[in-house]
Amino acid sequence: MQLDIPFIWTAFTEIIKALPLTLLIAFTPILLGLIIGIAVAFIRINNYKVIAPLANFYVSFYRGTPVIMHIFIIYFGVPIIFESLFGISLNFLPIAIFVIIALTLNAGAYLSEIIRSGILSVPKGQIDAAFSIGMTNFEMLKRIVLPQAFASAIPNLTNILIGFLHATSIAFLVSVKELTGVANIVASSNLKFLEAFIAAGIIYWGVTVLIELIAHFVEKKVTAYSNTGVARN
Amino acid sequence: MGTFFEPSLIFTSIPKLLSYLHITIEILVLSVALGLLLGILIAVPKLYNVPILKEIMTVYISFIRGTPILIQLFLVFYGLPVVVGLFGVDITRMDPFYFVIITYTLSNAAAFAEIFRAAIKSVDYGQTEAAYSVGFTAWQNFYRIVFPQAIRVAFPNIANTSISSLKDTSLAFSIGVMDMMGRGDTLISATAHALEIYLALSVIYYVIVLIFERCFKWIERYLNRYILKEESSL
Repeated sequence: MQLDIPFIWTAFTEIIKALPLTLLIAFTPILLGLIIGIAVAFIRINNYKVIAPLANFYVSFYRGTPVIMHIFIIYFGVPIIFESLFGISLNFLPIAIFVIIALTLNAGAYLSEIIRSGILSVPKGQIDAAFSIGMTNFEMLKRIVLPQAFASAIPNLTNILIGFLHATSIAFLVSVKELTGVANIVASSNLKFLEAFIAAGIIYWGVTVLIELIAHFVEKKVTAYSNTGVARN
Repeated sequence: MGTFFEPSLIFTSIPKLLSYLHITIEILVLSVALGLLLGILIAVPKLYNVPILKEIMTVYISFIRGTPILIQLFLVFYGLPVVVGLFGVDITRMDPFYFVIITYTLSNAAAFAEIFRAAIKSVDYGQTEAAYSVGFTAWQNFYRIVFPQAIRVAFPNIANTSISSLKDTSLAFSIGVMDMMGRGDTLISATAHALEIYLALSVIYYVIVLIFERCFKWIERYLNRYILKEESSL
């Protein structure tokens, strides 16, 4: 077996066409999951009866099982539910929708943990101070807690973004045509597996490095006014 | 795939799947143990600022961090035979189990290397100076001063990496390893019920993760036994 280096480029141009779909599958769940995450984080912080244990179980279950299970269970489970309850067949839906649903639920669990630790990182004295000068609950959150919580959550958020970009590769197992899926098609139709996966690897690596650079830039902006650590920054 | 949902199948398939649990655990234990060793080798050039080697390790860590484990699995599975083929060794017929071990070791090692580096950097250099000033050798300093403090910082991250590695082993079946997922696949073909099998697998993974988390908590408390609690210091 010989490595066909020019074919890596051919494969690269072929595979990169799947990048928009990959980014869609990776980032839609994070945006939707943010809503679930905020709701779940507030339920857990305020420790509401009955729903707080449910929220705890949701987070712990999603963090304790592999992503591939979430995708498979939604992919096989949701159509069964719809067919037996409403008699509707979901065959017309693109498979990517199921992956997005699965990853959204997953994102909700991971993001709620990040939001929770971000909010808990703001000292309680600041909240008392905000109330003492007459801020409402909403003003306190918007002007005091959330900006600081966001700043301290950026490194974790970056990891989540990268984690989800990489998790989309699993969607190929339910035959979604994202980066890995297309790489697999290119590989098996030309019988050049190594070259195709090298090309896919380079694309993932490139996007990851780009996300890290952007995150670094945003973190500098957001923490520009912070006054912590051992040196002025 | 059947249209009916049979909850009883979840319970009957769990024992069948559990009989393949040892493969999953073997992959995990071997790749974490080897990953810890390789991780030390990768961290050393960065800690001691060895030129060239340091840059190679940085690129290596960035590559592992930048690509999905599935892609790494395929790269090792298809790439390693080509690489060793250059030396005239033929491993194309090797058991996929070993490819999985190699991939997860390489992947874990990169994560562990970063964890070690951060943990050792978290110990103040003044302590090393103090150790030298009372006549410790470099090894004594590492073994008795730096290591016990660094492991305290590193352990929670090592535990997290190990747990996500456990979850990642569920992808090994994609190159044909007969672990729990692989067995699940054959059960699905036999019963034509996918959802029940995947629910059973989720339950198994969840329980194992919970057990691991409990054990790691316990070890963490042991490693922190010298740290005074805030309440007790009052």
